[in-house]
Amino acid sequence: MDAAIALERVSKRFALAGSAEGVLALTDLTLSIAAGEFVAILGPSGCGKSTLLRLVASLEAPTEGQVRVNGDMPGLVSARHALGVAFQDHALLPWLSVRDNIALPFRIAGRGVDDAAIARLIDLVGLKGFEAARPKQLSGGMRQRVSIARALVLEPEVLLLDEPFGALDAVTRRQMNVELQRIWSARRITTLLITHSVDEALFLADRVVVMSGRPGRILREVTVPFARPRDPTVMRTEDFHRLVDDLTAALDSNASASAEAPHR
Amino acid sequence: MNALRTTALGTLGIALFLLAWEVVGRSGLLGISWPALSDVLAMLLDPARLPMFRRALGATLESTAWGYLWGAGVGLVLAAATHLLPPLRPGADRLAAVVNSVPSIALGPIFLVLLSREATPAAVSSIHVFFIVFVSVSSGLQRASMAHRDLFSALGAGRTVRLARLELPAALPALASGLRLAWPAALIGAIIGEWFGAPRGIGILIINAMQNFQIVLLWCAVLLAVASSLFFYGLLTLIERAAYARFG
Amino acid sequence: MPAKRPLLLRLVEDYWGILLLLLAWQAWVVINRFNPIVMPTPVAVLGDLARHPDVYLGNVGITLAVALFGLVAGMLVGTALAIAAWFSPVASGMLNPLTVLFSSVPVVALIPVIARLLGYDTSTVLAIVTIITFFPSFVFASSGLRSLPPGSEDLLRVLGASRLHLLLRLALPAAMPNLAIAFKLAAAHAILAAMIAEFLMGTTGLGYLFAKTKSDFNTEQAFGASAVATVISAAAFLGAGWVERRVRERYT
Repeated sequence: MDAAIALERVSKRFALAGSAEGVLALTDLTLSIAAGEFVAILGPSGCGKSTLLRLVASLEAPTEGQVRVNGDMPGLVSARHALGVAFQDHALLPWLSVRDNIALPFRIAGRGVDDAAIARLIDLVGLKGFEAARPKQLSGGMRQRVSIARALVLEPEVLLLDEPFGALDAVTRRQMNVELQRIWSARRITTLLITHSVDEALFLADRVVVMSGRPGRILREVTVPFARPRDPTVMRTEDFHRLVDDLTAALDSNASASAEAPHR
Repeated sequence: MNALRTTALGTLGIALFLLAWEVVGRSGLLGISWPALSDVLAMLLDPARLPMFRRALGATLESTAWGYLWGAGVGLVLAAATHLLPPLRPGADRLAAVVNSVPSIALGPIFLVLLSREATPAAVSSIHVFFIVFVSVSSGLQRASMAHRDLFSALGAGRTVRLARLELPAALPALASGLRLAWPAALIGAIIGEWFGAPRGIGILIINAMQNFQIVLLWCAVLLAVASSLFFYGLLTLIERAAYARFG
Repeated sequence: MPAKRPLLLRLVEDYWGILLLLLAWQAWVVINRFNPIVMPTPVAVLGDLARHPDVYLGNVGITLAVALFGLVAGMLVGTALAIAAWFSPVASGMLNPLTVLFSSVPVVALIPVIARLLGYDTSTVLAIVTIITFFPSFVFASSGLRSLPPGSEDLLRVLGASRLHLLLRLALPAAMPNLAIAFKLAAAHAILAAMIAEFLMGTTGLGYLFAKTKSDFNTEQAFGASAVATVISAAAFLGAGWVERRVRERYT
């Protein structure tokens, strides 16, 4: 397989207390992401998009079908410490400084800590001067920057982002989108982004995938036409607005089709 | 891990322990100081001795009950008072901490002089209960959120009314927790208090058995204390859960 | 921060309760004309403390040392078992009900039993303190090991962390604030438990001093021993509280 991330006819069913069949989160889903490609997944709440990411992250195993990262099972990739991930919970360890939080993947992988690499990343995410700060001293946006720096520090094969800016206010979120675009452009790692925000998906991704409500299937794939590097002003163009309306309509028509229910 | 497996493992753990007890006792592994479980149970259930055990247990539990009444009562009142009059707080906190730090065995002779031999177990027990209830209720009274308090202020309620209608009900779960937490200390307080001349009780059983080298009797007394401890701790846990369900 | 109030006012505000208690004590003895053998005044007790510091210091040292060793031992055993339970759900399932069972045993009732097993000396006192500190340590360590920052466990698993790394880099540091709470609770208890065991055992230490002086009708010294125990117990609680705050600061 030459796809960096490949899901082939993947289904995922979760056991549910009091229900024989459980919950079908994903059904017969096939998705292929090329090396260096940035793909955003859009979908209503409970559609299984987080489940999709967790499958690639080796936190879950598919009930049917297969998931491969660079040809290997996700568990293997995780074991060789080649996965970078940033969740909505920044999951920074409160007792470690910014620098030590970013250094954590080195320690877990049993490799020597590369101070120069960490310093470069801290600079890249715009946190120079905050190396010794502790998470409780940082704002929400800053914490997510640390989280992203940590996700990049081992130069992973694949970057997985699960609504990393979901907990931020709208203004900070837009700023972070611009930042992430800038950071990503420096590395061009294969990236899978889960998001609620149509703006975010269109601004950051090469391709946007729209999922249906539960059980999750792929409804549409839209190739984003804007050239890189992308300027924030692209969000004001007519083409951008048209695509936003297009995707929002696709999402809305599906949101009414599936009932809101717990997806885990 | 599902509930069935947890229960099974828990039961297995306890069963293994009881089995080990019996084996150690029968084989004399730890000498005569560790009798077999069956021997202890035999003496405990011996009809000739049952009235004695019942009287002893009854006396200790009665002392503990009085200890609860007095300790919780004073703890509640003091907590409410310091809540209404915040300047009193630091002094009251330190007083409570000091009283709690007095060794229980030192309280014995003091209450012996201040009260009587019979009342000493309840008095020692009440000190333990007082501290825990005071701390629990003090923090429980502050549980009512700022939003609720602002509501009451806007409705023109005075501090006492607010205390009665908002903060005390809000503090009930904390009170229930405190009562549950206080139980082991209350029981120990009663037992220690009995050592200073009470006519009967589990503490007396323990001392007598210890001094007369009656090992099986000693274990019977310990078992009695444990069994009643478990029973009432379980009861108080149920009450606490109910309080949280209703007022939490 | 409020402006610095006069020292006297602050002292009264903080210590009015204790002062009231001492005054009431003094008044009660004087009014009832108690024989010092029955109940001495606080002044008399202070006098005895001043006259025989060596007696007190020697015994304080022993009780403190035993309490400290027992405290450390109990915390180590409690934490170790909590870690074992963390590694093995089977062990956890078996241990939890057992510890609930044991924690409702009135430990003082165990003193004679353990004394028969280990002997009527300091080893029993040590064992009692260890047992008393073991339970809160186990309970708090167990819950602490499970109170991980949200998402952190997933993160470490994705990063390919081994179970050992999960324990050393995530669960143990996360458990530190809870361990500090257990330490605070246990610190005062350790000293008082040591004293009770010494009282029953009759070997050395403050508890023994109390028992001996009481039976010798040297009530002033008996009260003195109690007063000293109260002070160091309260000080231990305060000191442990300070430690707990620092740990909380550092780990959250």
